[in-house]
Amino acid sequence: MTNHECTCGENPLVPQICNVIKITDETPDTKTFRVQTLDGKKPFDPMPGQLGMFSLIGVGEGMFSVTAKGEDYLDFAIKRCGMLTDALHEMSVGQQVGVRGAYGNTFPVEACKGKDMLFIGGGIGLAPVRSFIRYAFENREDYGKIDILYGARSAKDLVFKEDLYTNWPAMKDTKVHITVDCDDEELACHVGFVPAYLEELAFKPDNRMVVLCGPPIMIKFCLDSLTKMGFSNDQVITTLEMRMKCGIGKCGRCNIGSKYICLDGPVFTMAELEGLPQEF
Amino acid sequence: MKLAKNKLQQAFDLMAKEANLLVPMKIEGVTKFAPWGAEGELAMDAVNTLLPPKDALFPQTEKMYKYKTRLTQVESLEEIKETDKQIIFGIRSCDIHSIDCMDEVFLTRGYVDSFYSRKKENLTTVAIGCTKVLPTCFCDSMGLNPVAAPTADVQLNDLGDYYAVKAQTEKGEALVNLLKPLLEEGDGEAAALECTLKVNMDGVQKKLMNVKMFESDIWQETAQKCIGCGTCTYVCPTCYCFDIEGKECGNEGYKFRCWDSCMFSEYTRMAGGHNPRPSKKERVRNRFLHKLAYFEDRYGKGSLCVGCGRCVADCPVDLDITMFIDKVGALKEAGSND
Repeated sequence: MTNHECTCGENPLVPQICNVIKITDETPDTKTFRVQTLDGKKPFDPMPGQLGMFSLIGVGEGMFSVTAKGEDYLDFAIKRCGMLTDALHEMSVGQQVGVRGAYGNTFPVEACKGKDMLFIGGGIGLAPVRSFIRYAFENREDYGKIDILYGARSAKDLVFKEDLYTNWPAMKDTKVHITVDCDDEELACHVGFVPAYLEELAFKPDNRMVVLCGPPIMIKFCLDSLTKMGFSNDQVITTLEMRMKCGIGKCGRCNIGSKYICLDGPVFTMAELEGLPQEF
Repeated sequence: MKLAKNKLQQAFDLMAKEANLLVPMKIEGVTKFAPWGAEGELAMDAVNTLLPPKDALFPQTEKMYKYKTRLTQVESLEEIKETDKQIIFGIRSCDIHSIDCMDEVFLTRGYVDSFYSRKKENLTTVAIGCTKVLPTCFCDSMGLNPVAAPTADVQLNDLGDYYAVKAQTEKGEALVNLLKPLLEEGDGEAAALECTLKVNMDGVQKKLMNVKMFESDIWQETAQKCIGCGTCTYVCPTCYCFDIEGKECGNEGYKFRCWDSCMFSEYTRMAGGHNPRPSKKERVRNRFLHKLAYFEDRYGKGSLCVGCGRCVADCPVDLDITMFIDKVGALKEAGSND
């Protein structure tokens, strides 16, 4: 699960300048930024789950999961929640940003081949999961049935709506299950928390892998539910986040035990996390 | 070979012509490695300096790249490369080993840190064997020898009126060659030296790596008196954590990195406010575990504590890592509270 090949040039701490070529409003507090190098290429070629350091020159840098990659671009879905992301949300198309990566390990796309997949996302937690979902669709024959369970606070907080309602349900052997905590727009979807809906949907654990990303409290209760449903810890994959500065395992702060999340993570199975100090 | 002590200044002049020469100096009451010629007095007998020499390789602040912007466009972005030759003269075994530890961090595990590696390539170290120990020295308990630093480029040992001079690497041979006009034939063995402060690391790393240990009461007890001042990380020769920040004026600016400290709450505080290490208990726990367990687990090169004793001597509330080691050593098993 490791990939230490940095593709951003000679010095991994110096960003490449990229153009913002498209900005999509996902929710009132989340936007997706599409970036491309000045010569029209994707800044680097990440595998699902990998990270990129995204910077607004003069403001700051932050680590984000790469939500999607195209032929000649990368997408980052970014929620507004601090000084840097506030400034990023003020950007317009044509602005230049710094991008460096790819960092970290990847979702175990090989080990999951031949299995049914259950992708669970909560809120902005769908952003990292989306890279794997897209990969699975690009290599559709390699994976069995695909279920996507996504929950958000309310209808207006659902990200990637076009994927959720149009693109993904149209894929072969794929079901998308959407739930919101409270139904303020009388949307035609399930209402309730993700863990409860997960139990209601009663997925069978046989030959199935689960990718689970979302707020810590959702992860905790989903894990309880999955255990109840008979899933073992090595069937459940998640991502961790910590504050990061360098992205290459040097600056120190993102460690959990002797692992660095930027380098050895962000992807871990729940079985792997059990062997680490519970400090996240 | 040997160098007469009365030729030391001549040797400094010779070396200072070739490189930026850092020697132990006492400047305004603070002992540290400073450029030869700086205002202050030479402090060859400082044993270990108050400030470690880590800033020769890992400056307290270091510019990384500079840029120019125009409105929302980036006009230029250029990496800043420092390639000055440096010599550290009079460095002790503990500090030499701290460089070995930093090499592991900055030069291995998938990425080479170019800022560090350029400095390392251009650095020659001249170690000097200790002839006395401070009450806080415990390097020999951490597997080091106060009179021999095998990874230094040149090893000096005090023979009274002379220093025995031994090149240990190619860089060291080049330096000894440079000093040749001042050197005399001769040799001598350094007298063995033992630290008076002893700790026993047997089994400590293994106990600390046990996940049960993470929830032990020992952390609350140990961290209680910590005031979170960060002195330990500042004076520690192996504390390498850094922050990356920027400075901008008008349409140009630069990005720099600077020493950071795991003792500060900002260090791990995430956007949105969540902090996985919210109090000093978690922060002290992480620091001691990093020094005594995690580093060994990750790099397999022993402990990240080199036994220099600076944090023991300088902590304003006497939070003493050697007492902590003893306490863990005395635990019946990992995670027990007695």
